[in-house]
Amino acid sequence: MIDLVVTGLTKRFGGLHVLKGVSFEIHGPELIGLIGPNGAGKTTLTNILDGAIKPNSGTVYLNGERIDQLQSFEVARAGLGRTFQVTRSFRRMTVLENLLVPALALGHGHNRAEVDEKAMEVLEFLTLEHLRNEYAQSLSGGQQKLLELGRLLMLDADVIILDEPFAGVHPSLMEIIYRYIERVNEAGKAIILISHQMDSIFALCKRLLVLNYGDLIADGTPDTVKNDPTVIEAYLGADDDEQGATNGDQAAS
Amino acid sequence: MSRQHTPQLAGLVLIAFFAVFPFVYSANDYPYIMHLLITGFFYAILASSWSMLAGYAGQFSFGHMGFTGIGAYTTALFCHYIYLSPEATNLCTEYAIGDQFLIFVNPIGVTSSTLSQDCLRQALSAWDGSVQVTAMPVWLGIILGTVMGGVFGLLIGLLVLPLRAAYLALFTLGFSEILRAAISAEIAITRGQAGIELPYLFDQGITLFGRHFDKTDKLPPYFVMFFLLLTCLGILAWLAKSKFGLFVRALREDQDAAAALGVNTTRYKVLVFVITSMMAAAAGAVMAHYVRIITPNNLMILQMSLVVAMAVIGGVENFVAAAIGAIIIEFTLELLRNSFEVGDIVIDMTIWRLVIFGVLLMITLRFSRNGIISPIINHFLRGHVAKETVAKRGAAAESAGGSS
Repeated sequence: MIDLVVTGLTKRFGGLHVLKGVSFEIHGPELIGLIGPNGAGKTTLTNILDGAIKPNSGTVYLNGERIDQLQSFEVARAGLGRTFQVTRSFRRMTVLENLLVPALALGHGHNRAEVDEKAMEVLEFLTLEHLRNEYAQSLSGGQQKLLELGRLLMLDADVIILDEPFAGVHPSLMEIIYRYIERVNEAGKAIILISHQMDSIFALCKRLLVLNYGDLIADGTPDTVKNDPTVIEAYLGADDDEQGATNGDQAAS
Repeated sequence: MSRQHTPQLAGLVLIAFFAVFPFVYSANDYPYIMHLLITGFFYAILASSWSMLAGYAGQFSFGHMGFTGIGAYTTALFCHYIYLSPEATNLCTEYAIGDQFLIFVNPIGVTSSTLSQDCLRQALSAWDGSVQVTAMPVWLGIILGTVMGGVFGLLIGLLVLPLRAAYLALFTLGFSEILRAAISAEIAITRGQAGIELPYLFDQGITLFGRHFDKTDKLPPYFVMFFLLLTCLGILAWLAKSKFGLFVRALREDQDAAAALGVNTTRYKVLVFVITSMMAAAAGAVMAHYVRIITPNNLMILQMSLVVAMAVIGGVENFVAAAIGAIIIEFTLELLRNSFEVGDIVIDMTIWRLVIFGVLLMITLRFSRNGIISPIINHFLRGHVAKETVAKRGAAAESAGGSS
């Protein structure tokens, strides 16, 4: 059973109060959207969850284990994976090698046949199968994004944070990323989806977290969040709300 | 046989060639050519281990030559200052071990006066040949030098953990220069610029293949350096193929992303420093016993630049290419020494060869970033990849077209 408990996270960078006591919990394979304007603290929150930076106060527990003081690689092994806002594939390594890194880091190296088989499955699913021996740098931007998602599948994390997976992606690849999110979610993984594309967020997520200047101002179903006056004022805006609602409805229908 | 095995086959042929060369070559310049090969192997160890550090792991360190100095000076000081004696000198610092005495000779620095001898020489002249002291075994000095290289590698690895790219280069450059300055300054112990002498690799000579070789013969040090090179290449090959190689390359590409995927980046960054530093230190220690003198100038930045240039021209992302590049360049630089005359003008190649070398380096960097040897190897190893990709894409498109 997946269990992520975040309590009272605060983070200051000099005089800048980036997170002011953020708390939320995830139980089970939820699909959660994390939204908020630029500078709301989404990336900082991700970096704290992932162990890249340490909070000033507050705790994060994953499946009962405290992870907020662990290093990144320990958090990854504990079962939390993330992608980066800007794609960060290992450019001068082959596509297959990119996938092997997390599998071997988890210590699955002794069973190479199984690892290779899983890697091939992942590549097939991401339609990158024919590129497996090419260097990642020769892939298109969108394909590199898919590769990054593939690495997360190999990490087999319980909680996955996707930072702007749709940014700069062609609609046909978008389709694959949609399927990826649904499939990973159905496989029992929790996903935190960070995106500025409201259509996608409303189409995919059953629960939304809204960050605004370091405060978690809303936590609920897309419908309640959309109609939340604080959210409308802070983020969606009166006009955007109309638009968001229509898009949401369209996607739902 | 598939073409992917061609580089392996070529490697075996090359190894066989170097293994039999000293036995079949018999021209007048035999000692000179052997000297070039020993030096070539020495640089090959440095270039290939540096290629693991800089090319694979992306740690562009300028401290590699410093580690050869640590290996060389460790064994030099060890052999210079420590002896075993059956009698107490009552002059030196000494410890009884069983029925022997471990003698620590007092450092007297550089002096021309025969009156001020060190404590052991004084004792020996007092004994007047009645007591024989034993020097420390050279192999133990080389092992100590290698270990010391690892210790300093660990230290530097830990210190440079947060540093990237240019800052790492600057830091290691500083380390190397500080080391050189410290060795130059500490004349009392290291004899400063005068340099410190070392015993022969095999002080009593050695009998190999039923033949006795004198201590000045080139063949024993040739094979010591050759086997050290093969050992280093073997270890590097094993590392490159294992998850170590995968992780350090991931570390080079993106340290944060590698950590986010569960790679203990700290461990591998430190480990790659320790391993490559030990290789440099071992090579430095053996080389020092071969040339039998080590001075601080051996650590000069020019020497480091030579190693970097060899690795870059060979191909910094392939340790075998770097090793081959080192041997070829060592030879080319030597063969270019012969000055020649154009009309009345004498072209002094001893100086111009370095210019040619510099130009070659610039051309390589500009037009072949992967070096000159590495693309040839890659041609055999990865030449099929593009064809495969196209073929698979074609097949995929066809099956998609057929099903629609």
